[in-house]
Amino acid sequence: MNASLISLEIWVVALGLVLMLADFWMPAERKRFLGYAAAAALAVLLVMNLGHCATGTAFNGMFVQDGLAVFFKCFFIIAAILVLFMAVEFSDNLTAGISEYYSLVVFALSGMLFAASANNFAMLFVSIELITVTFYVLTSFQRGRLVSLEAGVKYLILGALSSAFMVYGIALVWGTTGKLNFNELALVAGQFAGNKIFLLGMVLVLVGLGFKIAAFPFQIWAPDVYQGAPTPTTAFLAVGSKAAGFVLLLRVLFTAIPSVSAHWANPLIIISGITILYGNLCALPQRNLKRLMGYSSIAHAGYLLLGVAALSMNGQAAMLYYLSGYLFTVLGAFTVICLVMRHLDNEDISALAGLHQRSPLLATTLTLAMVSLAGIPPLAGFFGKFLLLKAVLEQGATNPGYYCLAFTALAGVVISLYYYFGVIRAIYWSKDTPVDLSPILLSGPAKVTLAICIAGMFWIGLFPNTMVSLATEAVKTLGI
Amino acid sequence: MNLEALPWLILFLPLLSATAITLFTMRCRTTSALLSIGAIVTGFVLTLSFIAANGFHPAVMETSANWLSIGNLNIDFGLRLDVLSLMMVLIVTGVGGAIHIYSFGYMSEDRGFSRFFACMSLFTFSMLGIVLANNFIQLFIFWELVGVSSYLLIGFWFEKPSAADAAKKAFITNRLGDFGFLLGIIILWWWTNGSLSFDIAQQQAQAVIKSPYGVTFGDNFWLTIIGLLIFCGAVGKSAQFPLHVWLPDAMEGPTPVSALIHAATMVAAGVYMLCRVILLFNVEASHVIAWVGGFTALLAALIAIQQNDIKRILAYSTLSQLGYMVMAVGLSGPTQAMFHLTTHAFFKALLFLGAGSVIIALHHEQNIWKMGGLRQKMPVTFWTFIIGTLALCGVPPFSGFYSKDSILAQALEQRNYPLFALGVVVAGLTTFYMFRLFYIAFLGERRTGVAPVSHSKEAAQAGDESLRQAGSLSYEPHESPPVMAWPLRTLAVFAVIGGVIGIRGIFDSQFISDTHAERASTFLQKLFEPFAHAPIVAIIGLLAVAAGFIAARMLYRNAESDPLPAKLGWFATAMKNRFYFDEIYEATFIRAHDFIAAVMDWIDRWLVDWAGIGLVRGGTDFTGRALRLMQTGNLQTYAFLFALGVAVVLYLVLGK
Repeated sequence: MNASLISLEIWVVALGLVLMLADFWMPAERKRFLGYAAAAALAVLLVMNLGHCATGTAFNGMFVQDGLAVFFKCFFIIAAILVLFMAVEFSDNLTAGISEYYSLVVFALSGMLFAASANNFAMLFVSIELITVTFYVLTSFQRGRLVSLEAGVKYLILGALSSAFMVYGIALVWGTTGKLNFNELALVAGQFAGNKIFLLGMVLVLVGLGFKIAAFPFQIWAPDVYQGAPTPTTAFLAVGSKAAGFVLLLRVLFTAIPSVSAHWANPLIIISGITILYGNLCALPQRNLKRLMGYSSIAHAGYLLLGVAALSMNGQAAMLYYLSGYLFTVLGAFTVICLVMRHLDNEDISALAGLHQRSPLLATTLTLAMVSLAGIPPLAGFFGKFLLLKAVLEQGATNPGYYCLAFTALAGVVISLYYYFGVIRAIYWSKDTPVDLSPILLSGPAKVTLAICIAGMFWIGLFPNTMVSLATEAVKTLGI
Repeated sequence: MNLEALPWLILFLPLLSATAITLFTMRCRTTSALLSIGAIVTGFVLTLSFIAANGFHPAVMETSANWLSIGNLNIDFGLRLDVLSLMMVLIVTGVGGAIHIYSFGYMSEDRGFSRFFACMSLFTFSMLGIVLANNFIQLFIFWELVGVSSYLLIGFWFEKPSAADAAKKAFITNRLGDFGFLLGIIILWWWTNGSLSFDIAQQQAQAVIKSPYGVTFGDNFWLTIIGLLIFCGAVGKSAQFPLHVWLPDAMEGPTPVSALIHAATMVAAGVYMLCRVILLFNVEASHVIAWVGGFTALLAALIAIQQNDIKRILAYSTLSQLGYMVMAVGLSGPTQAMFHLTTHAFFKALLFLGAGSVIIALHHEQNIWKMGGLRQKMPVTFWTFIIGTLALCGVPPFSGFYSKDSILAQALEQRNYPLFALGVVVAGLTTFYMFRLFYIAFLGERRTGVAPVSHSKEAAQAGDESLRQAGSLSYEPHESPPVMAWPLRTLAVFAVIGGVIGIRGIFDSQFISDTHAERASTFLQKLFEPFAHAPIVAIIGLLAVAAGFIAARMLYRNAESDPLPAKLGWFATAMKNRFYFDEIYEATFIRAHDFIAAVMDWIDRWLVDWAGIGLVRGGTDFTGRALRLMQTGNLQTYAFLFALGVAVVLYLVLGK
């Protein structure tokens, strides 16, 4: 038992509580700046966490602190910092309870941190629920907007449905094997590979995780929720919540049941391929930018699943690499959306017209983000896709289905060029005459956020070595 | 400071300045210029300190950074440091630096001042990349970057259609050569079993050429093909026949750009590349290279005789001198080629900057028949120009004499008498056209007091509003400001002494393994080295120069119009019209190209675009719209689809 391992989580929860309490004493006009304080506190925690990375397990093996956990914790904290900056910019749209919004973001972060370290089905369920329940509130936070409420209700009901499946699955697994701990389960999983009830339980657990990452056929909620939720929530949902799903997926598939998942290449290939096609095809006719990003995030869940489907260490490392590039790219895009469209009712693409005259920095960031999402060198997205495809093709000898999957992924990339460049075209060569050409003034922290996102996209894309070796180190603990 | 890091700094400083200018200081003209000048001058100083610390043969010849390594896929980005590259970096940053400083004065009135310096920095970066590359891929990347940045610079005044056309022509002609170059690289990659490092490729080629069992026919065949294809790249960049047509047109760029392209950078890249991989070429390939070079030298010298635009004369003279260098490479004399490249960089930069000084003083007048009498008005320009001319003609003790003589001596040593004779003739022609230019443009009476309207219009198109207004007040030529005069003086010093400060010896240490003990060591010995080494060559060369000078003096001293067309008839007309190369290309290649383009256009429009893309796009779009219908927004439907999805996955996993 080593309670010091969870010091980071304790600090983050404490930070959330402090933010909530600060609401009582802080004068109303200063409340929005609490966000900066929270972000600064998280930055301090990030640096401290990087300083000492003691590894080990705690709470009878429920909680594990290893390379993978540390990698994802850094990832989540950086995401939360950028989302908090975005939330400060967005705070004018929230009529009340801005400091609650900040503390909810921090609570969701604590859930993600626990998820990164979950090594037990009970822990997995609790951390997922901590994230999801917080997001129910974050999604419907703009109580005055009907779409926000609608999104919240949809997320709540479908989320409850998926949680029900998941908890049922956990019960079946426990019923058949008597194990909840991943490492213990791994020892006996081989014996149950033919047990249909055990497999049914495992599939139901994966259904719950598939809901989190919005993979086909559990993606149906994503566009509506992405569109309706407040923009910072959408951004956190697209990056943090999705990554939490992926780290748990890695743990379950490769720590808990490696002997079973080794036979699941075909289902994973099919799910990954269809997710890519579905996301990209549905994004084509979209005019609402946040909805488009929702479909794009489905497509990217598909790309990330390539790394899982490859069932190899290279694939997992590629997935981690891709996620880290995705972090800066998507948060950059959402920050721009947040800044440009905070006063608009619907986030139609036409609102971007003439953005390069209104604010060159915003236009540049969004252009770079779209180019990176489309996977064009030298930005992060290109290299991530390259590594993922490479990992998939390496497995081609074992299963020809991998070649089909690589081809599907390439077709998806081609389709996606159309709508990503549609966004760029809307910025620079819009046919609609821009309604509003007033310059957009950016606050200092907003500029810093954008600069961090641009630097991240370029750094990961131009100097892939560092991130590749970090990712490779991180997945070594999975042991595949 | 860590010496390993210096070369990287030298390479990336110009890129940094180009980026900084483009992103931040576009509106602040002086800062932009200082950034750009600072980057290249710092590079020069750093190179000097690197050489001072490590000598010309650093212990670590190659420094490389691993850009990417995943499994067994390793991609390195490496720099090569030896005599050849270090000297070339000195030339690029030194001569380039002088040109940068000069541009500060020359371009001061231009609207695109910051853009100009951003492009110049990008150009310097690309050129340094070529010089420091240690493998073909990296070389090729920077090779193309030079193409791009030259496009930007030649077309700098893109409002002028002629400038835009010239930029396009330069780029496309270069691409033609690069196509062969790339093909050569790919074949080389196949031939060496996947290695593109200069070292390994040259070792393999030498192993084959020097094999004691004789060269097999197949290997020799492939080596010839590889050599000739790689030479294609140099033909494009160094503007050798038949791809020489772009260089004279490239004069449409601002004069400092011409100086940069012609003296220290772009055209030198081809010769430099040939010397860098000299061991790849077998006898057959070398033969072709030598003759292409010699022919270009003669052709360009003939054309230069009948040109009237001061910059075009210098352009054809560059072509002709490049021909010399390429010929030297073909005669297996890389030392001589690099020696001539170095001295040529000094005096050709000097001549171009001098010409620029004249052009600015005469308000963008470039026709030599409208100049004259510049001696009193522009003393610095006059004296530096005469130094450049003497160096170019090869009059001892100016630098050009030593390098040109060494090439002629090499031809004789290789017992290639036809090429030797050709070289001597070209030397005579060079003196003739340079003194023709000199007599007409600088001496004699002033021929015109007022620049014609068409030219001031050109100046206005070039964005020189204020210049035109100043010009309408006074057309009196005047000496250039110090920021332009000092680079001239500095370059003039090197044009004089470049031949005797041991540059040749430095290059020798790269290419010749056994050190020549008998090579001249004291200054006096160096001064008379050509006469001691091969007296016949030196004397014949000098006779040719004298003949050219006397002919020019007889014909053009106090000439009011060109007497040559009357004497030579149709031949002079052909020379004047550049032997109709542009017209021939227009009638054959461009026609054929247009025809193929029309056929392709039809195929693209109807088969590819309509049938191929149209159907696929329509299908994709339709699928997207159809799938969208699934997203009804109805929560019950969503929950149903979710449950259905669970069932499908269960079937996938458990159904078997």
